[in-house]
Amino acid sequence: MNQFILKSIIRKLSSVPKPIQIEQPKELDSLIKTLELELRSNEPAVLKSFCKFAVTAGNHFGLESKSWSLKKPVHERYTVLKSIHINKKHRVQYEKRTYFSFVQFNKLTGSTADTLLEYVERNLPESVALKATKVEVRELPDHLT
Amino acid sequence: MLNLTRNLELSFRKIDKPLYKAYCNASQGKHDEFKALNIRNVKDHSHSKRSVKKTQVLPPRTNQMAVDQDWGSVWPGPRSFHPATVPLPIRQGYTEKGAPPPDKYANAELMKIPNFLHLTPPVIKRQCEALKQFCTPWPKALDTMEKINKHFPIEVTSSDYCYSGPSIRDPMARIVTLRFNLKSLNLDDRAKDKFLRLVGDRYNKETDLVTIVADRCPLRKQNMDYVMYLLTALYHESKKIEPWEELKSQADMEYYDWTKHASKTNVEDIFKCKFEEIPGIDKFSDAVSEYMNEGENEYTIKKYGEAVRTLLQLPFSKEITNKPL
Repeated sequence: MNQFILKSIIRKLSSVPKPIQIEQPKELDSLIKTLELELRSNEPAVLKSFCKFAVTAGNHFGLESKSWSLKKPVHERYTVLKSIHINKKHRVQYEKRTYFSFVQFNKLTGSTADTLLEYVERNLPESVALKATKVEVRELPDHLT
Repeated sequence: MLNLTRNLELSFRKIDKPLYKAYCNASQGKHDEFKALNIRNVKDHSHSKRSVKKTQVLPPRTNQMAVDQDWGSVWPGPRSFHPATVPLPIRQGYTEKGAPPPDKYANAELMKIPNFLHLTPPVIKRQCEALKQFCTPWPKALDTMEKINKHFPIEVTSSDYCYSGPSIRDPMARIVTLRFNLKSLNLDDRAKDKFLRLVGDRYNKETDLVTIVADRCPLRKQNMDYVMYLLTALYHESKKIEPWEELKSQADMEYYDWTKHASKTNVEDIFKCKFEEIPGIDKFSDAVSEYMNEGENEYTIKKYGEAVRTLLQLPFSKEITNKPL
């Protein structure tokens, strides 16, 4: 009897909260109309291989996927004097070339897009930059109809 | 005094030897042997010859590879090129004219470029199959763009960036773009007019799309909320009718509406019936509105003339129609 009272007192004074099951609202999957990857690199061969990989992965996920690339790279040049102060006619020119290609996936759900992006981004090789643009479609909010 | 110390030392020695050793400072072992000083620099045979260790070079792994091996487990991840592991006769590099490019052994060109040997088609397929459990299919009912635009009229665009930089955060990732068809809001003429005035140049007349870009908040979520707030505010503001808006008279209208002008009443007086019943009235009203809205030019005058002739059932005189205006 004594023990029982002691236990109940301890329980009342304890700071450990009772496990309460909180019902979280079910998160709805979003709908993504297009997912476009913009890839830039200074090595066109790597870019070509990567586009092929991305398109293959998209096809295995069962998506409409296509890729294209810009024909001409962007040349970023800067011209400086060959010697630091004198001989203005003698200059050297440095150049950076950036090649662009694009991969597009159509009609994905949010979870598919996340999985695909995670997979593709994890396999991104060195010297390639990626920009993923998601176009998500939504219903009109209830207060606007 | 000396005696005392000696006695002490003796008594210490009697104590267990290992214990004594543990506390002793003297070097243990061969402290009696000294190295002989080699003045003439005579070579000592025991130290002179050092046996040279030969590193064992294994033959390349490619010799032992089976033809039907699982390549995915040979080359599981991204790695720089290794000639002994890749069973392909690859050549790469620049040489003088006529000579073939250098082969794969000790070839720096092959090691410099990132390779995709870990992403061969069967490997991609296998990995995708494993990843498919996290995917959900696109709803089958939403197969065409028209259906998507009808049921989900709002488009929200945002970008993620992934590149090797000093930071994994890119400030451009915060920008959110909202795009929707103005038709989907179901506004009446007055509200639409007000909406377009509020929106300004964010409305594209040709595609009927409104584009709102939000980049003022530091996080994407905040910008997303702000964009939705803007949409709500614009909608309700354009629905609201302020008391001063009632004062707008016909003279303040920014365009000519045929049904509200004297031209309509005049036509009704001539035909003695409602304007909907008159044949050819659509063409006439269009012509008049175009004339008033676009201004006087060759095209509008000609169209107006034709509309009047069809309305009053007058013959088209050849002289007038053929004459250049």
